[in-house]
Amino acid sequence: MIKVENLNKSFDGVQVLKNINVEYEAGQCNMIIGASGSGKTVLLKNLIGLMEPDSGEICYGDRRFSQMGYKEKSLLRQSIGVLFQGSALFDFATVIENVMFPMDFFTDWSDAQKKERAHYCLEKVNVTGADDKYPNELSGGMQKRVGIARAIALNPKYLFCDEPNSGLDPYTSILIDRLISDLTKEFNMTTVVNTHDMNSILEIGDKIGFISNGSMLWQGSKDTILKTDCTELRNFICANTLARNIIEGNRN
Amino acid sequence: MFKKIFISVGSYFLFLKMVFKRPEKWKIFWRQFINEADKLILSSILLVGVISLFIGGVLVIQTASNLENPIIDKMYIGYMVRESLILEFCSTMVALILAGKMGSNIASEIGSMRITEQIDAMDMMGINSAGFLVLPKVTAATILSPLLMLLSLALGLIGGWFVVETTHIIPPPSYITGIKAFYNGFYIFYSCFKMSLFCFMISSIAAFNGYNAKGGSLGVGRSSTQSIVTTSILILLSDLIVTQLMLY
Repeated sequence: MIKVENLNKSFDGVQVLKNINVEYEAGQCNMIIGASGSGKTVLLKNLIGLMEPDSGEICYGDRRFSQMGYKEKSLLRQSIGVLFQGSALFDFATVIENVMFPMDFFTDWSDAQKKERAHYCLEKVNVTGADDKYPNELSGGMQKRVGIARAIALNPKYLFCDEPNSGLDPYTSILIDRLISDLTKEFNMTTVVNTHDMNSILEIGDKIGFISNGSMLWQGSKDTILKTDCTELRNFICANTLARNIIEGNRN
Repeated sequence: MFKKIFISVGSYFLFLKMVFKRPEKWKIFWRQFINEADKLILSSILLVGVISLFIGGVLVIQTASNLENPIIDKMYIGYMVRESLILEFCSTMVALILAGKMGSNIASEIGSMRITEQIDAMDMMGINSAGFLVLPKVTAATILSPLLMLLSLALGLIGGWFVVETTHIIPPPSYITGIKAFYNGFYIFYSCFKMSLFCFMISSIAAFNGYNAKGGSLGVGRSSTQSIVTTSILILLSDLIVTQLMLY
């Protein structure tokens, strides 16, 4: 479980996150949603430690992130998998080397064991026969899949995904969403997905938090989001024709 | 402006502290070291070699044209060419050339990794990204660059000999005698030391600039240019200081 308490963050006097309080449960796809520039990515970067909050606390289980030393943070990070918006696959490494990369550092497995684990992860994300390809030889969807395979290589307890559907067609987006959801349930990970894609939200959003202007205005699930009374959230949802039609259909 | 410089210098030393942390796995470090030796040193041989051959030849012609006095023995031309090569060209001039080639290579490689979040991905895995990416580059450049200096010296002398043989601007035996005359081994050490120091500066400053690149592809270009300008100035400044300290 991840617990965020009274989190604040500002840049050059502009407050980007305002008193965020939220809990993310294991085995669930927890979504952070909101318009561009609302503070989603800043919240995600604070959660994974790429930014330090001005005040407030982030707890991984019963461990407070701010009180961890460098080594403890390094150990925690070995239990965190991150899928970046642009996949962030290493240009200098092939697909199999990318997936084996964290294993090279944090396990004493033999090459055969590492390859076996890498193939297992790649099969989980339906990437086969691309072991020796470099990231620039893969499509956007394939890159995302390999990114997920690398993120789950060390069997993480926490998985963070920053806009996993950006730049993907709707069909591939749904496949990636389902993959994230299935892996979350299978490995009982605490998954946090940062997105503004309504299809994703309605497909896999077990728990959803809506951010607007740095404040967490609404929390709920995919079952309750379409019935919300929060005006900002309704405006956000209704910007999407599909969701607007569903809401209006429900009303009628 | 001074505040900005102080902040940059402070950030650079904090960056070096990260770089010189003990590698997570020595096996990975050595693998990277060999890769970087190939990428930074071996791939520079052709450029350094060609330039050194021509500069050696040019130095012979220039020195000969300035020493036409019949009282001065022609062997001094060979001697002066050798000393010019050892003392200044093979370390400082080659380092300035490498500041362009090696510096831009390192800054753009690390800079593009920064803007495509590859460095963030490493940090998120709990890997010391500065150590993994930069330490092998800095050590390979620092330790192996004296070999480039020695190669440059050898090819510079060969270039000079080639000009002497083909043009007979001075008698070839005089040139050979000159390049063997009054040999001082300390000068070789001095030149190797300078080369190591300069290549340390080139690799670490370029890596620092790349590591802190911001603002997309323009930022990568900016970091590359900035690293070349900074290292070029620092090479000349430290050349002056080291020469004063070691030779006088």
